[in-house]
Amino acid sequence: MKCFKLAAIAATVAALGATVANAQDQNLERLKGMGNTATSMNIATVPQEGKNADAIRANLKNVKLPDGFKIELYAVVPDARYMAVAPSTNMLFVGTRKTTVWAVTNRNNGDTATEVKAFAPSIKFSNPNGVAFTKDGFLIVAESNRILHFPAAEYFYEGPDVAVGVVVPEGKLIPVAEQSFNHTGRVVKVDKDGKIYVNLGQPYNVQPADKVALFDEVGIGGIVRYNGLDGTGRTVYSRGMRNPTGLSIGPKGDMWATDQQVDGLGDDIPPGELNKLTKAGEHFGFPYYNGHFKVAGSSAAMDLKDMKEPAGHIFPQVEFPAHQAQLGLTHYTGTTFPKKYQGGLFVAAHGSWNRSVPSGYLVNFVPIKADGNAGPSEVFADGFLDKTTGRALARPVDVANLPDGSILVSDDYAGALYRISYSGN
Amino acid sequence: MKNAFFVCLFFAVFNCHADDVAAGRAKSDTACSLCHGANGISTLPNAPNLAGQQAIYVTEQLRNYRSGKRQNEVMNLIAKNLTDPEIAQLGAWFSAIKVNVETP
Repeated sequence: MKCFKLAAIAATVAALGATVANAQDQNLERLKGMGNTATSMNIATVPQEGKNADAIRANLKNVKLPDGFKIELYAVVPDARYMAVAPSTNMLFVGTRKTTVWAVTNRNNGDTATEVKAFAPSIKFSNPNGVAFTKDGFLIVAESNRILHFPAAEYFYEGPDVAVGVVVPEGKLIPVAEQSFNHTGRVVKVDKDGKIYVNLGQPYNVQPADKVALFDEVGIGGIVRYNGLDGTGRTVYSRGMRNPTGLSIGPKGDMWATDQQVDGLGDDIPPGELNKLTKAGEHFGFPYYNGHFKVAGSSAAMDLKDMKEPAGHIFPQVEFPAHQAQLGLTHYTGTTFPKKYQGGLFVAAHGSWNRSVPSGYLVNFVPIKADGNAGPSEVFADGFLDKTTGRALARPVDVANLPDGSILVSDDYAGALYRISYSGN
Repeated sequence: MKNAFFVCLFFAVFNCHADDVAAGRAKSDTACSLCHGANGISTLPNAPNLAGQQAIYVTEQLRNYRSGKRQNEVMNLIAKNLTDPEIAQLGAWFSAIKVNVETP
């Protein structure tokens, strides 16, 4: 009797789930076939003026920059995370950790965006954090466990129905059994050969001993690479990371990635990492190390006390102060900033959530020396934390280059994009 | 002190201890709001809303997170440093937030 009742309930739940999933699959299937969904042609826009925008502008007065630089509100974009600037048109896409990918357009070539609206509203995104363009204008969107691509997205986004293809089907980026929301905001980048790199955070503070081998094998706590939009050739490009939250591939092909540090070991250890990736198959130390700190066997990972130091592991090139949470980064590719910044890295520091005194809430600059290694990191933009109240005014997430040589910084706290430009001599 | 703590929990719904609510709000601003929102509506898809949550539930769960009886990597860390008065104040704050409920 009990078995029958449970089976009936299970069947109903499964049927309901299937109904919702079917409606969702239908939209995706229709769009894949260049068909139409029933979505309204009028996509709601996000107001760019008013009380909220004014309050954000007032907060920006707290931000300190080097001489000659200024910061302005570029767009109001709720939950703004990683950015992909369009190759040909005056717009960019912004991922979120919720359910929307935003399309941000500057229609009059002025100092700010003029329109912010949802991209592909008929597709149900789940944690569409990572966005990137291929050279020929395909937008890639990486969710927790699926990767889609959108041909000519910078044109098709004007209407609700867009062309879409599947790079990695739902449930195939990582094993479904290892799925989580935590640490699965993906970052995706494309190299000059069209190969696609995806950062995979491991979901724990430190993974338990019985997950180490599986994660190593699958690339969870690392970066995986695909041949291209067809999603073939999945390889684990880098391993030994905890939660890699940024990736930048420079014009010369050099690759740099940030990594988040372990929580609960105190205010000042271990450091955040900036790693240089040189080739496939490298190990960056985790969970044995975070920075130079031995995590295995510490109070955060007692069950790893017998772990062996990984062979050939690579220490970070830069160690950031603990818990500042450096996330997205980009090579500066413009020419309007002073020479010292050209070719170097701008890194967004989200700010701490578990430090007794808040730290971070800034943008770093890291120069790349002639020998290709990183120079010391410096604070470039500070003041996104109101130090008198200890509360965030903004939490920087990512940095992107605009074609005019200025840079954008995204903020998922106030929900905005800020433009930093140089006008000094 | 312990009696006051107990009475505070009992009357939290009636907002009888405005001091506790204000203190709870201040504590939440620095320890909770980044994930659970400044007004108790969460900003993270995997963090629950706490606006209007039951005071007794909040305090019991915070104690359980603190002792390890309830396991969550993030909350075990956050609760580790909470004192009993702070836990009571957080219960008072979240339960004092008024919510309107509308079913679909």
